[in-house]
This record gives sequence, structure tokens and C-alpha cells, in this order.
Amino acid sequence: MIGSVAVSLLALLTLSIPVGIVLFLLGFGVDTFFSNFPLSRGLGSLVWSSSNSATLIAIPFFVMLGEILVRSGVATRTYAALDHWVSWLPGGLVHANIATATMFSATSGSSVATAATVATVAMPQAEKLGYDPKLFSGAIAAGGTLGIMIPPSINLIVYGFLTQSSIPQLFLAGLIPGLALALMFMAITVLICMMRPELGGTRRTFPIAKMMRALVDLVPIIILFGLIVGSIYRGWATPTEAAAVGVAGALLIAVAFGGVSMSMISQSILGTVKITSMIMLIVIGASFLNFTLASAGLGRELTAFMTDLGLTPLKTILVVVVLYIVLGFFIETLSLMVVTIPIIVPLVVEQGYDTIWFGILMIVLIEMALITPPVGLNLYVVQGARKSGTLSEVMLGSIPYVCMMLLMVVLLIAFPNIALFLPNALN
Amino acid sequence: MELKLIESLRSINKGVAIIVGLGLLGCAGFVLLDIILRQVSSSLGGTEEIAGYAMALATSWGMAFTLLELGHVRIDLLRSRGSSFIRALFDLFSMTVMSAVIVFIAIKAWPVVARSIVNDSHANTPLETPLVWVQLPWFIGWVWFAIMSCIVTLAVLSLIVKRRHAETENFAGAFAEQDMLQ
Repeated sequence: MIGSVAVSLLALLTLSIPVGIVLFLLGFGVDTFFSNFPLSRGLGSLVWSSSNSATLIAIPFFVMLGEILVRSGVATRTYAALDHWVSWLPGGLVHANIATATMFSATSGSSVATAATVATVAMPQAEKLGYDPKLFSGAIAAGGTLGIMIPPSINLIVYGFLTQSSIPQLFLAGLIPGLALALMFMAITVLICMMRPELGGTRRTFPIAKMMRALVDLVPIIILFGLIVGSIYRGWATPTEAAAVGVAGALLIAVAFGGVSMSMISQSILGTVKITSMIMLIVIGASFLNFTLASAGLGRELTAFMTDLGLTPLKTILVVVVLYIVLGFFIETLSLMVVTIPIIVPLVVEQGYDTIWFGILMIVLIEMALITPPVGLNLYVVQGARKSGTLSEVMLGSIPYVCMMLLMVVLLIAFPNIALFLPNALN
Repeated sequence: MELKLIESLRSINKGVAIIVGLGLLGCAGFVLLDIILRQVSSSLGGTEEIAGYAMALATSWGMAFTLLELGHVRIDLLRSRGSSFIRALFDLFSMTVMSAVIVFIAIKAWPVVARSIVNDSHANTPLETPLVWVQLPWFIGWVWFAIMSCIVTLAVLSLIVKRRHAETENFAGAFAEQDMLQ
């Protein structure tokens, strides 16, 4: 069953059928060929129960929060402010790219939106100040991927929903690896620019007074992040409630910065509905496939399959990592995550690994998928904002950051506590 | 004619999406109000339940808008290598399969509503919402999505038959996330 599902999955995806629909088709296939009783009879109730969810409504809320911030011009101010604070490092503005992407990741749930925002704001600066276009754009593409790791993360909500694990715990687990990745991105930039100073453009220092004034533009975002994350951990609000607080906060910030207009609100609303439905078709499809696979006895088959293979837990994880890297060349974040969860997560948990920990490992791997060619959405988004040069420059520039992600994968496997320390400590 | 039809469907669904989005915004406001009231006095109660219904309705009614804005993710690996004719065939195939699946889902959604009507089901919550109030509009949303995908499929087919296959890209092509973000 596992083999047939995997092969059909890839075949149907290559035929360019929408990912959500492919998941339904696979569910029908499992029902027809591997189940003793008709599972499709429950389809209606399943579609109802998987969309009638107070947990999942956090998704449109977080999308809306990001849309409002992105469309209200807050990003431009954040970028300028961070420029004042980090451009003294070797690599100058490249750090502002990474830092802005990190900050926006912290508030918005989407990697692509983060990359698009930073790219639009930053690109005009690169040419003016004589930066190497490769490193400069690679840093944006890579920094943008942090959006799905640092909470709040839509991908972690979907993971929590499909694997029935705690979303607050997942958010906690993503915090340290996410921030560590941002620091590692900055470290490798410093290293590269110390060896090849001509790549890094001019380093700039600003007087303390100016730096302090720039803080004014950063404070609202920091408060918003603190409010969302803090209210979840203090137990004041569920992730859904925190997301609603976030929407209100984002609107307030937009009003304070004078970025609110009718067209901006309607664009944000349309963007929210579009992205939400796109995610939900995939999530409902995955719930259905999950249900059919479980009913058809996937658990038993997996155990037998793993015993036959005779792999140690560590070898299993390594196989899984390689699988994600290869699939990541061709399939994008959310789709890659959702189509693999029904099979891979039970398999990994079967080997004694922690579901929360694996969620974080999976996020690093699908972050990598966002910037590995030929299909790497962030590469295209950054290239789209550049309007000159070639896509391969962005790809080359991303390589150092892909290496850092690989290093993070190794670290997570060697020291699971990087992810599990916070959830365990605060439990 | 096909393109005009698609254009008008697009503007109708944009209207639907605005209503859906305002509903979500309203729901966020409602949740916020509940959090504030909980700190001050007692909770309104039932926010979880209402948020769930809002999500179910937003999902079923937002689908058609996303379809017409090319929002449903497809893997473009093989398709993008073909000529405009080959791409149109890929789109026709994918739309046909999609329509079939969505029509099937819409058909299977009806028993859920029917059962609530027959049993006069109420939610097992303090609000005791009659389920048919939410399930009926939810079901109609899926029917709406099914009708929209069938119309798009027929429009693609008709344009291919008329050898105007290059024109299908605009409403049945693959993922256009970059346009969305600009």
C-alpha cells in the first residue's frame, strides 16, 4: 500500500493536478483497493469536521495579519530601521535583509510573503550601494524561509492539526531553531564578507541618536510579536485567540503608520481568502487521505515494512532527510509537508521519535525546499522583485544559506534539545 | 464569449470573497471582544463554536474565488515544458479531474445536511445551534465551487476546440502566486 500510494502521488502531481485534489484521489484509491469497507461514505462528514475547526481559523487570521503589515508599508520602515542597527557588520545591508526577514517571520505566517516584502524594499538599495547581487538576493530568499519556523507559523498549525500535536508546544519548539538559523545566516555572511570584502558593499555606521530614533519603527512589531507569543505561553489565549489579537494589532500599527486605505484593506482581505482556501483544500484532502490510510491499516503495514527494512532509528531519520531534500527540489513547502505527513510521521514516531521534534526538523527541510532549484518559490519571488540579472544568481547566492540549513538539520538530529528544551522547560 | 463569462464569474466571486473576508474579520473582532470580556467579567461563551462555523463557511465559499484566481497549487514541472497547446491539454485534464472530485464532494456533503434536517440536530454545546443553519450554507458553498469548476472546464474545452488554446492560460493555468503578491 505504501509503495502504490507513493508512486501514484508522484505521478498525479507531475500531471499538474492541484495538490489538494491529488490527495482526495489517493484517498479514493486507498478506499477502493485496500479497504474492506467503503470509506468514501464518510467523505461529507469528514470535509465538514475538518473545516469546522476553531483551531484552523488561526490560519486566515495569521495570513491577514501578514497581509496587513506587508501592504501598509511597515516593511519599508522596518528595513530602514534595521539597516541602522546591523549594517556595521561585514556584509552591511545583507544583514538588514536577514534581520528584516526574521522580524517579519516572527509576525507573519508566510515565507513567500516575507521574501516578497523584503525583496521589494531591499533590491533598489543593492544596486545603489554596490552589493554583489548573488549574495544579496540569496540572503533575502533564505531569510524569507524563516517565516515558517519562527512562531506564529501557519505550517506548524497545519502540522499540529494533522498530527494531533500541541500547537503551542510546536511554536515553542520552533523559536530557538528559528532564531539560531537567523544567527547562523548572519554568521556565514560575516565569514564570506571577511574573506571576500568586495561582495559585501560598504559597511555603514550610524550615530547613536539616529539608531535610537530608528527604534521607534521597530518597537510596534516587537510588541506585536511579544503580544502574540506571550499571550499563548502565559495561557491567556489559544493560538486562535492570539491570532485575532494579532490582526487587531496589525491594523493598529497600520493606522499608526498611516498605511490604511480602502484598497489596502480589500487587497488584504482578498489575499487572505485566496491563501486560506488554497491551504484548506490541501488540508481537507490530507485529512481524508489520513483517514483512509489509517482505516486501511497503515499502522500495521508500516511496522511490518520497517521490520523488513531493519533500519536503526538513526538510519531511518537519515533516509527521511534525504527523501525530503530530493522531493524538495520539485515540490513546494506546504504541499510537500502535507502530502508526506500521513506516511512519514507515523513511520518516524514508530521508531520512537518525538512528534514535536520531528515537526521542527521537517520545517527546516521544507524551508530548504523553498530555495532549492528547479522548483523553489522564494527564488522566483526574489527574482521577480529584482527585474534584472538572472535566476541562477539568486540560486548561487542561496547556496551558503542552504549549507547552514543542512548544518541545522545535523544539529537537530544530534541535539534534539535545541527544539525540545523550551517546550519541556515550560511544560 | 468564454473569456467574458470567466471575467464576470471572477467579479462575482471577488464579491463573495470580500464578504467571506469581512466575515473572518468580524470573527476576529468577536474573538477579541471575548478575550477582553473574559479579563473584565465573564466570557460571552460560544466563540470557539462560532469560529469553527466561520472557518467552515469561509473554506467552502472561498474555494471558487481561489480557483478563478489560479490559487490552488499545482506542480508545474512537466506542464511548463510544453507548448501552449500542450499546456492547455494539461489544464483541461487537471480541470476535468478537479471538477469530478469537487462534484463528488458536493454530492457527499448533502447527506450531512440531510441528516441534520431529519434528526433536527443541534450542536452539542451551550449555544445548541441548529446545525442545519450552518451546514446548509456550507453545502451550497461546495455546490457553488462544483458549478464554477465545471464552467471553467467547459470554457477550457470550448477554447481548445476553437483552437484558441493560448487564451486558456489566463484562467486555467498554473499557480500565479507572484502576481498575487505584487
